[in-house]
Amino acid sequence: MDSRALKLAAQILLFSQIVCTTVRAQNSGATLSGTVTDASGSPVSNAKIIVSNVFSGQTADTRSDASGHYTISKLGSGSYEMTVVAEGFPSAAYRAVLASGSAKTLNIQLVNPAGDSADSASPAQSSGQEPSLSGLGFPSSMIKGNPKEQALLNKRSHMLQIHQKLGMITVGAMVAALIASPGAKGHHGEPGGATGRNVHMALGATTAGLYAATAYFALAAPRVPGVKVRGPIRLHKAMAWIHGPGMIMTAVLGAMAYSQLSNGERVHGIAKYHSTAAIVTAAALGTAVFSVSYKF
Amino acid sequence: MMKKVGDVILCLLALAVPSLARADSVWVLKPSTLTYHVSHPLHHVEGVSHAARGKGECHAGICNFLAAVPVKSFDSGDTNRDLHMLQVVRGAQFPLVVVRTQLPESDLKGGSIEADLTVTFAGETAHYQRVPLKLVPEGKDLRVVGTIPTTVSDFKIKPPELLAMPISNNIPVDVDMTWEER
Repeated sequence: MDSRALKLAAQILLFSQIVCTTVRAQNSGATLSGTVTDASGSPVSNAKIIVSNVFSGQTADTRSDASGHYTISKLGSGSYEMTVVAEGFPSAAYRAVLASGSAKTLNIQLVNPAGDSADSASPAQSSGQEPSLSGLGFPSSMIKGNPKEQALLNKRSHMLQIHQKLGMITVGAMVAALIASPGAKGHHGEPGGATGRNVHMALGATTAGLYAATAYFALAAPRVPGVKVRGPIRLHKAMAWIHGPGMIMTAVLGAMAYSQLSNGERVHGIAKYHSTAAIVTAAALGTAVFSVSYKF
Repeated sequence: MMKKVGDVILCLLALAVPSLARADSVWVLKPSTLTYHVSHPLHHVEGVSHAARGKGECHAGICNFLAAVPVKSFDSGDTNRDLHMLQVVRGAQFPLVVVRTQLPESDLKGGSIEADLTVTFAGETAHYQRVPLKLVPEGKDLRVVGTIPTTVSDFKIKPPELLAMPISNNIPVDVDMTWEER
């Protein structure tokens, strides 16, 4: 190999070293820059821009200058969540994907507090290389939140939770009343003592009162428009047509039986069906609770 | 001579960044199935949705995928339970579950991969690293099957109770998606 060839090889090697060093230097950190503007396009100065690497947690921040320009450099590659905070504007969230050594421009247009946009409900907007929610073809009503509907759902759930808890207490009171019933009826056809009757009556009245309160919270809970009832909840609701009238009948017949026993009479007439009405009501109430407690 | 050196360097640079020569591609989500699982001491509930929409865009060898599904599209077979779920997860205020991920284009050939997923749900964002996914090429389509190990606490959701017993914190979501390259 002659000296000219050696010189040329050395030059190529040197040049390659320079190129490689330059590339390495570029790869050492990505840069994110852009301009922050308001809805009219005017620059927003002193806006704080915070970026956070989704996985490594690396964060960096800067502020926009008088012309709205910002630059954040020496960022590692990866996905970043970006938050922009400026006085007089709601904070805005963006996403950006940075390749190693890349320089990405992300211009930010802040939405006025009274303003609106199709993606306003999304927590992060596309940086341009990522698909955006608005490009998926969902109707805007599906992308935007509906606080009124959420408030209605919250009220409905709150009332039904009270309904559920009161229902469990009602079942407990009803079981106690059933356990106390032999003390009211007496044994071998003889009327029971006054204490037994009074205890049973008190438990029965408590059950009826709790039942009324339980029913109120179910009936008064707001309905969600456009929802067709399906599933085990249908059985739960159907049982109300049995235990509702059953509870009224049990209370009326129980009052009649109490009166007859208090007068020293044996229970007679339709009052004899107080126990039957109570058992049917308890069974329907139990089925209603079971229908929403177990999947079948 | 310098022209030749320049040509050599240009060739070297072209070889060093082959991704620049690749064409962009776009993926669109076809009708797919997402199923959440909720465990309660008394029973196990599954909610299914077929309403997910999604798009994937590949550029320079990197693909960004976005899939979203309306919260109210999940059906557990019981209206009351679905409405309660919608309330608990703030589904009217935040109507979509959004999943984002970034994958090397080379992963889309099929096989088992691990993906980093970002899930936005109930107004909160959670990151799941190295979620195992199975990619099965089906003609021009790519079927993606896996389970996202979501929990209610990840999204600051108060676990709902039935008969004073709360549900389990784990609410894994099975995904069975088919993406079509366009």
